[in-house]
Amino acid sequence: MYLLKNGLVHVGDGTVIPDCDILTEGRVITKVGKGLDEADAEIIDVSGCDVFPGFIDPVSSIGAMGLPARYPDNGEYSEPVTPEMNVKYSIDPDEVNAQEFYKSGITAIGLAPTNGNLMGGQIAVCKTAPQKMRNRIVKECAGLKCSVTSAVKKRYGSANRLPMTKMGIFHLFEETLREARSGKEDMPKKRRQVILDVFDRQSMQVFCAASTKNEIDGLLHLMKDEAVHINLVDSFCFADSLKEIKEQKAGVILGNINCMSQIAKNRMELTKLVELVENGNPVAFTNSNGGSSEGREVFLWSAIEAWRAGVPAEEVVKMMTLYPAQMLGISGRLGTLEPGKDADISVFTGHPVVTYAARVKHSMINGEVIF
Amino acid sequence: MKRILIKGGTLYTMIGKDGIFKGDVLIEDGKIIETKESIHAEDAEVIDASGLCVMPGLIDAHSHIGLFDFNSDEAVDDANEMTDPVSAAVDARYGINPKARELRTAYEHGITSMLFTPGSGDVFCGQAFVAKTFGDNIFDMTVKAPAAVKIALGGNPKNTFGDLKRLPMTRMGVAHVLWDTFSKAKEYLEKKEKGEALDYDANMEALIPALKREIPCKIHCTQYDMLTAIEAATAYNVRFSLEHAWGAADYLDEIVESGCDICYGPIATYRAPGERRKIDIEAVKMLDDRGVNVAIITDSPILSEESLYHHIGEAVREGVSHERAVRMVTINPAVQLGLEERIGCLGAGRDADIILVKGRLGLDTNAAVMMTMVDGKIVYRA
Repeated sequence: MYLLKNGLVHVGDGTVIPDCDILTEGRVITKVGKGLDEADAEIIDVSGCDVFPGFIDPVSSIGAMGLPARYPDNGEYSEPVTPEMNVKYSIDPDEVNAQEFYKSGITAIGLAPTNGNLMGGQIAVCKTAPQKMRNRIVKECAGLKCSVTSAVKKRYGSANRLPMTKMGIFHLFEETLREARSGKEDMPKKRRQVILDVFDRQSMQVFCAASTKNEIDGLLHLMKDEAVHINLVDSFCFADSLKEIKEQKAGVILGNINCMSQIAKNRMELTKLVELVENGNPVAFTNSNGGSSEGREVFLWSAIEAWRAGVPAEEVVKMMTLYPAQMLGISGRLGTLEPGKDADISVFTGHPVVTYAARVKHSMINGEVIF
Repeated sequence: MKRILIKGGTLYTMIGKDGIFKGDVLIEDGKIIETKESIHAEDAEVIDASGLCVMPGLIDAHSHIGLFDFNSDEAVDDANEMTDPVSAAVDARYGINPKARELRTAYEHGITSMLFTPGSGDVFCGQAFVAKTFGDNIFDMTVKAPAAVKIALGGNPKNTFGDLKRLPMTRMGVAHVLWDTFSKAKEYLEKKEKGEALDYDANMEALIPALKREIPCKIHCTQYDMLTAIEAATAYNVRFSLEHAWGAADYLDEIVESGCDICYGPIATYRAPGERRKIDIEAVKMLDDRGVNVAIITDSPILSEESLYHHIGEAVREGVSHERAVRMVTINPAVQLGLEERIGCLGAGRDADIILVKGRLGLDTNAAVMMTMVDGKIVYRA
């Protein structure tokens, strides 16, 4: 039992409560409010600190790559359509631990297949604390990772296989859905089941890497009559397709924008994020760029870029907590500081979106103080 | 030529201990004429900087912009002439795309000078140069060429030549090439100075300015490569900086004793066994506390040019004072490159590369450049 006393609590849904206490018991939060008292609890003084729900990176590669390896464990490149692959089996706890994600406030990551396959497999959500694996997995099959980027055509085109072009990518996407729905016999049973579960029964959301305008427009055109919720991953050119993204209320998971000169290369207009916020599109950030991840620090950098572009600070906090939790279907457990939610809490010495001087003072995951 | 007076800003002069004060900067013919608390110049055009910070243009001391050209659909590598591990003679000015969009993003973010370097696929990668980020022609934009000899140790050259089953395919092989090349260059220089007959060797010629300590060697290293670099560079008495320097916290004493400089970064790479095991941002503070000249670098376009803000922010997060962190992207790299009489501070006689900033860069996350001036010319206004 822990009692965090007198923090500036950012609930994660946009509300901020000053001089607020949080009581945890076991793995969960039991109370959030002012003037809490509990004789049995160990008290952690967080006065003067900003308290956040643990941040969530919804599509991380690092943690499932199995470095050093000849072949990354999150790219099953034997064929471009492998939705039945479950990333849970590729999670390398040591690789996650080595990143010390919690030092940047990140307490959960959605481990995802790379951008190299059209349908790479299913995302698994894992906590970042070095704890027992069975306590770390929040959810397997939390999202279907897809990609319509050049990474797919580079991978297969170079071996003279479909898809060699972007036309090929979208053709294969369309045919895969049609074949699954028409009951084509040579499609593996498990594969068909996953595709129908996702696209016809919305068992999980789609997380599709699409970076350039033609990739984003093509994907939204192909998906416009589909019921499943689409999240655009990387989406460096989101501002060029604003109308379509707004109409379809697509999610936007901004790739690591301060890498490979994305801002300069794509002439990114980050100020357009404000319009997405006003339109109610969910937005989140990931450390990944083109399917490969950089270090924990860049997560806060993306949040800072959104704030610099005019997004209100508490809206940015939602992009780091509530929205990625909703995208992954885990908002019942993660994303906000409320009774009954997992006790995953990041305590900073200031607001990390607003000042670089903000450091993580404490990190709690599954109710354990790990830092 | 008309004079410009920047009035009433908070000056970050980067000179001396009390280098931050409210004052004015007078500019004429692209140079800073005077910097002090109050200047009257009736004929000058006045730029009101009240409420703003006035700083020297920022310097990124390790960039590959335009050499790794990301401006077309397929990335182009013109940074690595990987046909011979000793390719010291190649000149980065000929590899750069002067129309690279990153240059504009750089000066719009207040970065007015960069060291553009080849590398790091060879042991001796080529000649680096320093240039302004604004201009039409890279040769006209150049401040100093060559500005450094770029050397790389570790995984990159080893993988380049290992794939070809050629020396060097190991770290011992890399060290051998390093020692052997320095030895040959020294011999070449001695013969040349004595006027003895010798066959012209462009690679050896390229190393002469380093052996004469006119320019530094910039040595890419991580982990224990730092010891190799220190040992060889010390033996040949060259000026040098350790580039990237991930894991520097493990070699603090050796670094301090050698008197070398550090170009730390990029910060924020993922951690992995081997070269990326230890991304120790805290080393920046430890090194600075012990008097080492530390510059912070982005390796742009690998980490992007604008991430220089975040880079200094991470140093601040690790306890470096805001003023010390700003030095790491202004006067520190200028001194490392022997260019402190041209760039990196607001002293009289320096190039008028000046930025006006709202907020404290590297501390306030929303600090923003309101104006960039290069050689006295306003090239960007927010």
